[in-house]
Amino acid sequence: MKALDFGIFALSTLLVLGGGLGTVASKNPIRSAIALLVSILGIAGMFLLLAAEFLAAIQVLVYAGAVVVLFLFVIMLLGPAAQSPADARSAISRYLGAATFLLSATGVLALVLRATKGATTTLATQPAGFGTIEAVGKELFTSSIAPLEFSGALLLVAIVGAIAVARGKQPDPTLAVATPKGEEPEAAPEKAPSRRPTPKEAHS
Amino acid sequence: MTRLMAISPLLVVALGGVLLMLAEAFSHRREEGDVRHTGPSSELALGTAVTLLAGAIMAAAVWMVGPEKLETLPGLAPYYVADRFTLFFTFTICLGGALAALLAGGYLPEHKLDRGEFYPLLTFGTVGAILLAAAGDLLSLFIALETMSLAVYALTGFRRTSPRSTEAAVKYFLLGSFAAVLLLYGGALLYGATGHTDLAGIRAAIMHPAAAKPANLALVLVAAALILCGLAFKVSAVPFHMWTPDAYEGAPTPATGYMAVAVKTAAFAMMLRVLVGGFGDGALASWAAGWPPVLALLAVVTMTGANLVAGRQESVKRMLAYSSIAHAGYVLVAVATIPRASEEAQASVMYYLLAYTVSTIGAFGALVLCGSRGAEAVSYEDLAGLGKRHPAVAIAFTLFLLSLTGVPPTAGFFGKWYVAKTTIGAGLYPLAIVLLLNSALAAYYYLRVLVYMYMRDPAPGAPIAKPMRSGYVVGALVIAGVLVLALGIWPTTPIELAVQAALTAR
Repeated sequence: MKALDFGIFALSTLLVLGGGLGTVASKNPIRSAIALLVSILGIAGMFLLLAAEFLAAIQVLVYAGAVVVLFLFVIMLLGPAAQSPADARSAISRYLGAATFLLSATGVLALVLRATKGATTTLATQPAGFGTIEAVGKELFTSSIAPLEFSGALLLVAIVGAIAVARGKQPDPTLAVATPKGEEPEAAPEKAPSRRPTPKEAHS
Repeated sequence: MTRLMAISPLLVVALGGVLLMLAEAFSHRREEGDVRHTGPSSELALGTAVTLLAGAIMAAAVWMVGPEKLETLPGLAPYYVADRFTLFFTFTICLGGALAALLAGGYLPEHKLDRGEFYPLLTFGTVGAILLAAAGDLLSLFIALETMSLAVYALTGFRRTSPRSTEAAVKYFLLGSFAAVLLLYGGALLYGATGHTDLAGIRAAIMHPAAAKPANLALVLVAAALILCGLAFKVSAVPFHMWTPDAYEGAPTPATGYMAVAVKTAAFAMMLRVLVGGFGDGALASWAAGWPPVLALLAVVTMTGANLVAGRQESVKRMLAYSSIAHAGYVLVAVATIPRASEEAQASVMYYLLAYTVSTIGAFGALVLCGSRGAEAVSYEDLAGLGKRHPAVAIAFTLFLLSLTGVPPTAGFFGKWYVAKTTIGAGLYPLAIVLLLNSALAAYYYLRVLVYMYMRDPAPGAPIAKPMRSGYVVGALVIAGVLVLALGIWPTTPIELAVQAALTAR
C-alpha cells in the first residue's frame, strides 16, 4: 500500500512538473494548453492521494474538461494571432531573472530541508467518507457556509466585470495612432446631437 | 433579526448593489455616444453613493450599539470577524467608495463612458473590501481579496476604446494575479506548518511550540515571506509598485480614486489582520528575526523612491499615483512600529488611512472637476492660470493638496503628526527622521501644482483645461473638503475611536 501511494505520488509529481514546464516553455500555444491539461491531471492525482476523491473528479471535470477546452477554443479562434511574438527582452535580463529565481528557490529549499531534516509530519488520519460528495457538501453548507456565500459575491463580480469589459463598441485599431495628449481615441465621431434613442433602438 | 445586526453594514452594501444592478438592467439603456448629460447612470451614481453611505452609517450605528453585545450568526466567526476594527475600516472604505461613486456620476457622462456596469462593480468591489477588512481566516481573506481585485481590474479597463486603459488593465490583472498566487502559496505553506487556516489558530500554533502539533518554524518563515510579498504588492510598496502608475493613469479618474482610497485601505486592513492577528507575537514579531525590520526597510524605500520619482512626473494624475505610493510608505512606518507600540501604532494607521481617504479622493475629484471632455486636465501646463480663470476649483484643489502635504489645519497634518509621534514614542528615531524628511520632499511636487495654478499663465495657444459642470462632483468635493477640515480641527475623537478599534482587534 505504501509503495502504491508513493508510486501515485511520483507519477502525479512528474505530471505536474512536466506539464507546468511544458506550459511555459512551449512556443506553440496549443502545446501549452495540452501541457496544462497534463499538469491538471497530475493535480487530480494528488487530490486522490489526499483522500479527496470528489475534488479530484471536479478537478478533471471543470479544469480539464471545461477550462482547457475553452483555452483551446480561444487559441483556435485567434489563429496565428495567438502566437506570441519573439521575446523582446535582452538575454541579460532573462538570465538575470532566471538566476535570481533559482537562487531564492534554492535558498528557500535549503532552509526548509535543514529545518525539517529527519522530521516527517504525518497528517491525522481522515475519518471514513472524508472526501465524498456528502462530506464536502455537509462541510460547505454547515461550518463553511460563510466562505461559500462570499464566493457568490466573487462570481457575481466576475460576471459583471466580464460584461463591462466585453460589451458595446469594440476598439478601432486604426484610431490607436497619434492620440493627442489627454484625449483618448474613444472620441469617436460624434453622433447626431441630442437625439434620444427610442427604447427600441436602445435595446437593439 | 438581531443576529443580522452585526453584519448589517455588509448586508446593506451587498443588497443595495443587487438592487442597483436590477434597476440598471430594467432601465432604458442609452447608447454610449449620446450627448445627454443626465441619464439613468447619473441616478445610479446617486444610488450607489447613498448605498455606500448607508453602509458607513450602519457601521457607525453598530459601533454605538457595541458589536461585543451583539449575537452573531453561527458559522460566521473566523470568516467574518464583527469587531470594532472591522467597523472602523468599513466606515472608511464605504466613505471612499461613496465619494468615488459621486465622482463617477459626473465623470462618466462627461467622457462618454456612461455604462451602468461601473456602479455594480464599485459596490461589489466595496463588498470585497469590507470582507477583506473583516476576514479572520485565510480562506475568506483570499475570496475577499479576489472579489475586490476582480472588480478593480474591470474598472481599470473600463475605458475600452483606449489602448492605454486596456494595457493598464492587463498589466494590473497579470501582476495582481501573480501577487495573489504568492499570497495563496504562503497561506498553503502556513496551513502545512500549523494545521490552521484561521489567523487566531495560526498565532496560537506559532506561539506555543510545546503544543501537541508544533509549528514548523522554517515553513512559517517562508510562508510569512510569501504572504508579505503579496501584501506589499496590494498596498503598492516600492519594489512591488511597478503596476501602480500605469494602472492609476490608465483607469478612468473616479476608478483611480477608488483604487487609491478604498482598495488601499482594505489592503492595509488585511495587512494588520495578518501581521498582528496571525504573526502578532513570538519570534515573528521581534526586531531580530521577524517582519518589523522588513516593513521598516520597505517603508523607507517606498517613501523615498516614490517621492523622488513623483517630483519628476509631468502628468498630474501620474504624480498623484506616485503620491499614493509615498503615502503607503508613511503608513508602513506606522505598521512597522506596531510591535513596539501596539494599540497606538494601529490607531495611527487607521487615522492616517481615514485622513488619506478624504484628502486623496478630494484631490482626484478636483482633477476630475478641472477637466472636461476634450480638455481633460492631465499635465501641469493644463492647469496653468486656473487660479485666475476658475478660482473655486483651484481653491478646492489647493485644500486637498495641502492636506496631502501635511499643512496644519488639515487632516493630513494630524495623520503624519500622529504617525511621527508614535514612531518617536517607540524609540525608532531613524524612521521618524526619514518620514519627516520625505514629507518635506513631497511638498515640492504638491506645491508645484499650486505654483502652476496661481503663478503661471498658459502659453498662448497651448491647450488649457476647462472645468466641467457637475453637481455630483461638486457635492463629493464639498463632503471631502468638510471632512478634511473637520478631521484636522477635531482630530481627538477619531483618534480615540481608532484606539478603541485597535484594542478590540487583539
